[in-house]
Amino acid sequence: MDAPPRLKVGIPKETFPGERRVAATPTTAARIAKLGVDVIIESGAGEAASFLDGAYAEAGTAIVADAAALYAAADLVLKVRAPIETDHGHEVDRLKEGATLVSFVWPAQNRELLERLQAKKATVLGMDAVPRITRAQRMDALSATANLAGYRAVIEAAAHFGRPFGAQTTAAGRIKPARVLIIGAGVAGLAAIAAARALGAVVSAFDTRPTVREQIQSLGATFLQFEWKNETGEGEGGYARQMSDAYLEAEQTFIAQYAKQSDIIITTALVPGIPAPKLITSGAVVSMARGSVIVDLAAEQGGNCALTEPGSAVEKFGVKILGFTDLPSRMAPQASELYAATVVQLLELVLKDGKVTIDYDDEVQRGALIVHEGKITWPPPKLAIRAGAPAVGPTGTHKTAKEEKPVSPWPMRIGVALALPLLVILGLFGSPSLLEHMTVFLLACVVGWHVIWNVTPALHTPLMSVTNAVSGIILIGGLLLGRGRDLTVTTILGAVAVLLASINVAGGFRVTARMLKMFRH
Amino acid sequence: MPPTVATVVYLVAGLLFILSLRGLSEQASAQKGNWLGIIGMVLAVAVSVAGLFGFERGEAEAAGATTNVLAVYGGAIALGALIGGFVAARVQMTAMPELVAVLHSFVGVAAVLVGLGTLQEAGAHIDLAHYVEVQLGVLVGAVTFTGSVVAFAKLRGTIGSRPLLLPGRHVLNLALVGGCLALAILGWGAPPDRSFSYLLGVTGLASLLGVHLVWAIGGGDMPVVVSLLNSYSGWAAAAAGFMLSNDLLIITGALVGSSGAILSAIMCRAMNRSIWNVVFGGFGAEPAKASATQAPAGKVRETNVAETAELLRTARNVIIIPGYGMAVAQAQHPIREVTDVLRKKGVNVRFAIHPVAGRLPGHMNVLLAEAGISYDLVKELDEINDDFSDTDVVVVIGANDIVNPSAVDDRASPIYGMPVLEAWKAARVVMLKRSMAAGYAGVENPLCYRENTVMLFGDAKKTVQSLLAALQV
Repeated sequence: MDAPPRLKVGIPKETFPGERRVAATPTTAARIAKLGVDVIIESGAGEAASFLDGAYAEAGTAIVADAAALYAAADLVLKVRAPIETDHGHEVDRLKEGATLVSFVWPAQNRELLERLQAKKATVLGMDAVPRITRAQRMDALSATANLAGYRAVIEAAAHFGRPFGAQTTAAGRIKPARVLIIGAGVAGLAAIAAARALGAVVSAFDTRPTVREQIQSLGATFLQFEWKNETGEGEGGYARQMSDAYLEAEQTFIAQYAKQSDIIITTALVPGIPAPKLITSGAVVSMARGSVIVDLAAEQGGNCALTEPGSAVEKFGVKILGFTDLPSRMAPQASELYAATVVQLLELVLKDGKVTIDYDDEVQRGALIVHEGKITWPPPKLAIRAGAPAVGPTGTHKTAKEEKPVSPWPMRIGVALALPLLVILGLFGSPSLLEHMTVFLLACVVGWHVIWNVTPALHTPLMSVTNAVSGIILIGGLLLGRGRDLTVTTILGAVAVLLASINVAGGFRVTARMLKMFRH
Repeated sequence: MPPTVATVVYLVAGLLFILSLRGLSEQASAQKGNWLGIIGMVLAVAVSVAGLFGFERGEAEAAGATTNVLAVYGGAIALGALIGGFVAARVQMTAMPELVAVLHSFVGVAAVLVGLGTLQEAGAHIDLAHYVEVQLGVLVGAVTFTGSVVAFAKLRGTIGSRPLLLPGRHVLNLALVGGCLALAILGWGAPPDRSFSYLLGVTGLASLLGVHLVWAIGGGDMPVVVSLLNSYSGWAAAAAGFMLSNDLLIITGALVGSSGAILSAIMCRAMNRSIWNVVFGGFGAEPAKASATQAPAGKVRETNVAETAELLRTARNVIIIPGYGMAVAQAQHPIREVTDVLRKKGVNVRFAIHPVAGRLPGHMNVLLAEAGISYDLVKELDEINDDFSDTDVVVVIGANDIVNPSAVDDRASPIYGMPVLEAWKAARVVMLKRSMAAGYAGVENPLCYRENTVMLFGDAKKTVQSLLAALQV
């Protein structure tokens, strides 16, 4: 018998109008092949992103003539955009029965698409559904894309703005820096801040989540503090959440007052799963200076600006409003490389022995899984997701959570079990004087415990030497032995104790004084 | 003088000691704290010496101590104060751990002597509670004594710092404690002479226990051991207080005992280990084999003094991480000068101190203070750990385990979970080391192999001195 045919991974050309990205580069195609599968690509799929068929062929990827041939052969299809209706029918209908699809899916907005995929008995992994946790950062296609979009938004704004961004003093007069307002400091917003700052603009940024303040400030922008009752915009997984109407209104007023003073506004405010909040009212647009530019990165979800027309650039009241929905695609080579890299990372997780195997216990795979063999598995069961900081470019660092060893209750219990009978015995048989001493002793222990806890670590050594000197108080013990008696074995023992203890007292205090004198500002 | 006067003075002294420790918890009030302690001690000793004359017992018994006893005790105090003062004035700051250890041992001996003396004096009239107090005091005192002596020898380097791990060492410890218990029971109700010999036996067994307990602890855990012995010395004093029915001894002993216990707990937390693990674990010998199998990938990049000087000169933010190696090489003074030169050039030089750096809690702080480095520049782990990513150059001087990235990212590592100074986040790390040997925990340090790390081999003091010369050009 022949060995079972190897799984075929196919990369079709994107069909969405104006989409120039491709889901695999020659390099990542070769990496995918190493996972024990065959990789095929539709002729011309990477052309718009400057990856020619020849380059794929050289990297060992088979080229197929057209989409029909590709879909007929592929068991696993890699795409960028979610499948759509084309001249040759819906892309989902072209999938093989039971095939696997990896692409952006946007399940919340695409109910009908899920049903189609279900009917095809497909397995679907959504690149947009990969949970935002530390371990999955390398497959976070959204962040990678948003990062580029934020950067590009600034470039587009600069291209449409009639003035430079940076300040200059020229012979003919002073050029004022552009004032840029960034709304929403997610990955895209932060990338926009960095890019605008690099061009020399004065940048302020606004976000409903107070936790991003530090990130905004670390990039050199001013954080605009917006407070309204007790609501904050921090939602699950570090994303923003939907706010009440009254809150939205207050927010609009707040933004309007800053919009007036801004030359450029870049909006990136998105709440997962719902249309983008309209943060910039037409009134706010009117109040802006003529020639100002608004770049609406939320255009695809309806836009943050009331006057945005998704997909195009319009001029309203003298303000240019750019509603481009293809910003990442405008940097297709780079965007493809990043997207393709995240796809490979995800494939490395789910391709085992050349087969797609989903581990339901892995929260990354479970999260990305939208349809499994014809069953809709989205949304995944709720997981406690840490509000992780979005990675900011390559310098983004993450902290590994330290595992705390659970404190065993047993030492405490054993202690209590030992102490209780002891106290009972003391209470029944102890002499009153012993009990008095016990009281003093226990109280002193508690006092010592409380006095010491807040010692600055720098003073640990002096503290130790002073307690050392103080414990030389045992000197008194020696003295008490000699009380009212002549020289006997007892008094001599006492005298030796006194000698040693006095060394302690004098030495301890003296050396402490010496050390403390050295500590200085 | 009614006897209540002594009691009141003891009470005042006790309060002064509490205030003293309280004062020692902050730089601003530390010197005052030390003085309060001295005043308390002088008061307590004065009133006890007055007691020798029998003042507090009223006129009828005013015979007091004979002149012989007075002369011996007076001489003992004077001699002791002289020796203590002299040693304390001369001791090198790098030898602080040894000094502290040896002083602890004196308290231990004194407790043993007081215990022996008490039993000797009481003879057959002793009641059970008192008898138990004596036994406990002697036990704790003897353990403190020999434990401190072994700690001293380890710190000195007289005996190796490797832990001595006898087979069945827990059983041995238990047997020693059991032996003490048996002797104490035998001694109860026996004729005074016999009873005294049994107490001597307890002293002997407890001494063995002290030796064995401390010998089994590795050099890297010395900060915990020293503060633990500090705690023991306090408990020994408290036990003596019970024997002699003296509240001041009890209060002071309890204060010292609990403060030492807290310091030990703080140290243990800094190593992410339980106190039991430190005291009985024999850490430092076993992990060696685990790490041998996984020598980190990558190669070590060596650098020289000229390059390092260039690196420091062009940096904006520099953090220096000192470790025990700095103390051994006595490199703190040239480091101060390097710091001065760099700060004059506008480089922001700071120091990062790990809680268990060195062989004594707070050891590094004392050494840096000795060299005249302002404590404003010296930062604790929590204060500075977030700043490493904004730092151009980190200079690690004779530290190893406390900058080991395995503690954060290698689950298999024996030091995983220990809070460490995250030096690797800086743009460049320069490690001053004598050789590629592993630290006290016996764990390989992947930091040496990181791409942003360069090694500068040699004696820390000489290296820093030539670095200074290169910077001054």
